[in-house]
This record gives sequence, C-alpha cells and structure tokens, in this order.
Amino acid sequence: MADLKQQIIAQLSLKDLKPEDIGDDQPLFVEGLGLDSIDALELIVLLQQVYKIKLANAEEGQHVFRSVRTMAQYIMEHQPGTAS
Amino acid sequence: MYIQAAAGISPQPSFERLLTAPAVYTGNRLSCVEPDYNQLIDPKMIRRMSRIIKMGVAAAMDCLKTASVDMPGAIVTGTAYGCLADTETFLGKMIENDEELLTPTAFIQSTHNTVGAQIALLLKCHNYNNTFVHRGASFESALLDAITLLGEQQVSTVLVGGIDELTATGYTLLSRFGLYKQDVTDSTSLYNRHTRGTIAGEGAAFFLLADQPAGNDYAQLNGISAFYKPGSLAEIEKHIRDLLSAHAVDIDDIDMVITGDNGNIKEDRVYEQLRSSVFRNTPNARFKHLCGEYPTAASFALWLAANMIKEQLVPSCVRAAPADVKPRRILIYNHYQYTYHALYLLSVC
Repeated sequence: MADLKQQIIAQLSLKDLKPEDIGDDQPLFVEGLGLDSIDALELIVLLQQVYKIKLANAEEGQHVFRSVRTMAQYIMEHQPGTAS
Repeated sequence: MYIQAAAGISPQPSFERLLTAPAVYTGNRLSCVEPDYNQLIDPKMIRRMSRIIKMGVAAAMDCLKTASVDMPGAIVTGTAYGCLADTETFLGKMIENDEELLTPTAFIQSTHNTVGAQIALLLKCHNYNNTFVHRGASFESALLDAITLLGEQQVSTVLVGGIDELTATGYTLLSRFGLYKQDVTDSTSLYNRHTRGTIAGEGAAFFLLADQPAGNDYAQLNGISAFYKPGSLAEIEKHIRDLLSAHAVDIDDIDMVITGDNGNIKEDRVYEQLRSSVFRNTPNARFKHLCGEYPTAASFALWLAANMIKEQLVPSCVRAAPADVKPRRILIYNHYQYTYHALYLLSVC
C-alpha cells in the first residue's frame, strides 16, 4: 500500500504529503484528503496506466476510491491474470 | 480611469530593487523572479497550478491586496501564449500514450483563460470574466475591454492583467525563427549591439482599475490607443498626436516617454526616428533590458510607469540618458514585431 500511496501523491501532485501521512482507511475525498472530481479522473488514469485496470462503470468509483485500502483491494482483485 | 494598484511578477524582483540594484542577466533569456507562492495563494489550490498560473494568480492577489479590494467587478486578462507548460504536458502525454490515458489536469489547465478562471475560483467571483488572446495586442485588448466596462458604468472596478510565460520548448522554437540575439553578453548591453534579434522575456502584471479615485491611486490612465501595421512613420506620429490631443495634452507636457526598444536594429528603427521627431525634446526611458521581449511586455511598461508616477521617481536603470525628472505625465509607445502597436497615456492623480 505504501507504493500505491506514493503513486497517488505523484499523480495528484500532493507535494506536501508523505505516504505515511495517508491512513490506510482515511477517506480520500471531502473530509479526508479533500480530493475532488478532477482528482477522481486522475485516479482512474492512474489505475489504467499503472495497473492496466479500467473501471467497469462510474458508480464503482465511489466504492473503489473510498480509501487507499479499498483501492488496493480493487487492484488485487482486478489486475490482469488475477481471477476476480 | 484610475490605477488603484499595480502588481507584477517579472525578471525584476520589485520596483524598489529597480531603484537600487536591478537584476542583470547574462545570455538572451530572462526568467521571472518568483515569490513564495504559499504566502499569496491558498496552498490547497497551488498543487495543480503550473508556473504561469501561479505567476498570474499571485500577481492578481497582490494587486487586490494593495488596493484593499476583495471582489473586483470584473476580471479581464490578456495573453498571447496562454498556459504553454500545461499545453506541452498535455501534447507530450498524447504522443507518449498514443492518444490514450490523458491526465485531465494538464488538459483543463492548458486553456488560455485558466489564469482568469483560477483567480475567480479563489475569490469565488461570479462577475464578468474574459480573456483576450490576440498575439501582440492581447493586453491592449484586455485593457480596452476593462476601460469600456468602466466607461459604460457596468462595474466600478476591474482587475486586468497581461500574462505570458516562456518555456524551454517555446524558447527553443522561437530561437529557431531567429527571434533572439546570439551575441548578447548581458541584458544591460541590449541596446548597444546594433544587430538583429532581441532577448526573450516573460511576466505577469495586474492592475486594479477604477472609475473613481480612491485617494491613494498609483496613477490615472488617461487613455490608450492600439493600432495594427502602420504604413508609415507619419501614421504613427498621427496616432501619437491624436491620442495627446484627445486628452488636451501637448507633447511638451509629457515628462517622459517610455519606448519599447528591444535591441533589434530592425524593430528599434521607428523609436530612433521618433526620438528625432516628435520625441526629440522628451526624456526617454526603455524597459525591455529589464523584462525581455514578449507579446504582453507592454504590461510591464505600464506597471513601471504606474510605479514611477506613484513614487515620483525614475530608476536610473531605465533612463536612456541622464535626466532629472519627477514624472507627472508619461507616454508609453510600444510595438511587438512592428505589427501590434500601442500608446498609453498616464498622469499623476
């Protein structure tokens, strides 16, 4: 999950944050890290670029991007070659 | 119209430093001296901003702070190049990723009106917001729009700015066109080479214009005149005379004329001719050795003139010849590549 946090920091230019500043279960949007809809698009690109995973539908995003842990779980379940 | 405040980010740290120790550059490229943006912009908003956006937003915030104005009646910007760095990032990703998986931020921020939009977002300002992209007439177009809005009493204040950045790619491409001198040693020797080409520059300058005096204004902007590809020197002289007479001003009433000499022997010829004709008795100042040449460089000249009138001081580094002047009335004449010409008339309040 540390790698994923680093990738999120780089993709979203969260220059003042270190991976350890982001809690595994901390909400990414609104009251948590305070990300917004543009960040959601950036996270979709990150999933596609780095993990070759395409979100099946937009509604999934709400659950997948709830926290770093939910993102990591989604990646584990959907990486090419992994049975979901 | 009254200039309530003027703020700029340029290759010069500040007007105060111009008076004592102006920055001198070696080579043919001048880059902006950037402040600590965290002091001027909400840190949460900074992370997505590219350099030009930070420069523009910071200059705008500084200008509003100086004027003690929280919400301008309108925001108008002028830029020729727009947000070049974001455009390059976006185009680069298109090539890299075979036109797929494009990051949205660079695309969203690559439009020319991003600076004006970001200022509005920061201020939560829903008022009139417009950006003019007309090459070397971009800043003049923005200023004309601002003056029109104030003249028609649609608003009482307008935040107006000129912004252009030079990226490494932009510099390389423009160098290939032969825009920049290869033989310039430092920026102070710009006018002594008598060769083709100039030095590259960039900057962001913002002004808070108002229809009524605030009591502590920088200067009064009496009028501007913008014209395209004049056919002769006589035509330029006529534009100068027309602007002055429209404001009941005689050339002898002008304490200083600021000309846009950029060291290019071909482009400076007209300034030389005017110094022998209409400007022959008027003290002359030049500014492009301080900011470089770029399409909205006249905004730097306006920032300079507004400060000179406010402080009643002429930095020695801008004087073409020694002259003891306390400027009460200044005329600026600038052209960009002898295509886009502009005159600005300012006076003390």
